[in-house]
Amino acid sequence: MIKLTDINKTYFSAVPVHVLKGINLEIARGELVSIMGASGSGKSTLLNILGILDNYDSGEYYLDGTLIKDLSENRAAEYRNRMIGFVFQSFNLINYKNAIENVALPLFYQGVSRKRRNLLAMEQLDRMGLADRAHHLPGELSGGQKQRIAIARAMVTNPSIILADEPTGALDSHTSADVMQVFKQLNADLGMTVVIVTHDPGVGAQTNRIIRISDGLIVD
Amino acid sequence: MLDLFSEINQALKQNKVRTALTGISVTWGVFMLVVLLSVSQGLVNNFNSMFSDANEARLQIMAGSTSKAYRGNRAGRNIKIQDRDLAAIAKNNPHFVDKVMPTIQSGTGSIRAGVNSINGVSHTGAYPQELKNQKATIISGRSLNDRDIETRAKVLVLPLQYAEILFPSKRESAVGSLVTYRDLSFTVVGVYDNRWSRDIFMPFSTAQLLAEDKNAVDALEVNLRNVNTDVDGKDAENAVRGTLAQIHGFDPDDSSALHIYNRFTQNLQARGALGIITMGVWVLGLLTLLTGIVGISNIMFVSVRERTHEIGIRRAIGAKPRNILTQVLAESVAITVLFGYIGIVMGTALTQIIGYSASEADILKDPSIGLSTAVKVTVVLVVAGALAGLLPARRALKIKPVEALRDE
Repeated sequence: MIKLTDINKTYFSAVPVHVLKGINLEIARGELVSIMGASGSGKSTLLNILGILDNYDSGEYYLDGTLIKDLSENRAAEYRNRMIGFVFQSFNLINYKNAIENVALPLFYQGVSRKRRNLLAMEQLDRMGLADRAHHLPGELSGGQKQRIAIARAMVTNPSIILADEPTGALDSHTSADVMQVFKQLNADLGMTVVIVTHDPGVGAQTNRIIRISDGLIVD
Repeated sequence: MLDLFSEINQALKQNKVRTALTGISVTWGVFMLVVLLSVSQGLVNNFNSMFSDANEARLQIMAGSTSKAYRGNRAGRNIKIQDRDLAAIAKNNPHFVDKVMPTIQSGTGSIRAGVNSINGVSHTGAYPQELKNQKATIISGRSLNDRDIETRAKVLVLPLQYAEILFPSKRESAVGSLVTYRDLSFTVVGVYDNRWSRDIFMPFSTAQLLAEDKNAVDALEVNLRNVNTDVDGKDAENAVRGTLAQIHGFDPDDSSALHIYNRFTQNLQARGALGIITMGVWVLGLLTLLTGIVGISNIMFVSVRERTHEIGIRRAIGAKPRNILTQVLAESVAITVLFGYIGIVMGTALTQIIGYSASEADILKDPSIGLSTAVKVTVVLVVAGALAGLLPARRALKIKPVEALRDE
């Protein structure tokens, strides 16, 4: 599903920083993996590249058989929209849109009709057990509910991978366990490929494979 | 499209007070624009109602007295236009002169119908066309006709004001009645309405019979042709003046020998002045609107800055730059048009009030913006809104999807 070959990335500021120093990584379809590393290890940069939020300098990145390299902004947006479901640490719901509108938003950018958008969004909310919260604003929901709505939004386009950035970082331990359970279920029931970037060993332990990154390289 | 509207609607509801305060400046700008345009349109309408387009290519010539000695003639000599001058004017200036009509103005006399009488009445001996030129609108009976001229008929066309005094019970009964004017009996054939004129019209040929000098003419009306520009108008005037100067032996440059009212060039100049007023009004209105537009632009910048994170999220989950651009521009246009239309409504309301209260005064007539102006103002609003949103939208385009990962 994901194949990274010798990915290099340097940030050119006052002093050039060589952040990723030749990442080689393969994640198969249907895997539930975590990427762990200390801050400054290149973890965030790797996340940006995996999420097509940033470019890399050399190497090759194949996502679901498609080479992701030197994309135009439009093409990158399209690939993000169709292939990646993002789950963020701070949920990143739009606070003036209600739950169903937030979940349906990625479909809006695909040009899906309002009726069909709401139908698909409702399906996802239902799966998350939040159908009765469809018309609530994010401010009226708990952290765990917000994160499940964010997961519903990630799932609504039926993406190739779910890419989660510290998905439990803003949650208490009990709610964190709930959210991890959701990821595990998506993986087990639907065969969804899930990549979780975290520094929390407790989260890493619940995944099937831990990929450790240190100083810009994958370590085993 | 509906989706775009609901997006805009949601976004605008975020900061209702701020949006409204900013919008007021646009409302004010459009309000001023509409009121000013309406008033200037009122001036134009009033002007058009006073001067008809069809007969404005004409000269009105009245005799004066010379101010310069010329070829043995002393200064201060009175010029008397004669009946025979008419033919000469037409013959010598075939290019410009379409038709020459003389009129005779009388001194005052009295007119009587039964027990009712009016003193200090003057008459104009005229050709039928003269009544049209003077905008004497016939409201009952008929105007003068060619047959009246041929037969030197003793008929009169009365102004409405006199008909009301002479026939107080029923002014309609004036037509066909006999009246006594200057001790002669006339038949009233028509009544006209024109607030500027109180002359009694009678056939030119009849007026000649009443005049002391049977060949004297008091004024000439020269209908022009082939005049399109200011220069044509001046040329025609000089040509006619030249002809009369030759016949009566005065200096063609002596402007007091003849009083020539060149209705064509005057009209042209007045229209030019009105055009400048209208243009000035647009400039003033647009400048007022500009301050509103700057406000909108400013608020859109604030909005884009505030929503950096949100735009980042939208980009991360698949919004293309075009989507973001459309949204910012559409919001800007929506605010501008919404508050602009409030300005149009308020401006139109005020204009109606002005129009109502000024209906008695002869300055404005039906002050309102026409449909074409309303369309123009709408186009201005949409363009202005888009321009206001342009720079903030460019700023929004620079927001990277990575912003979504940054914690607030």
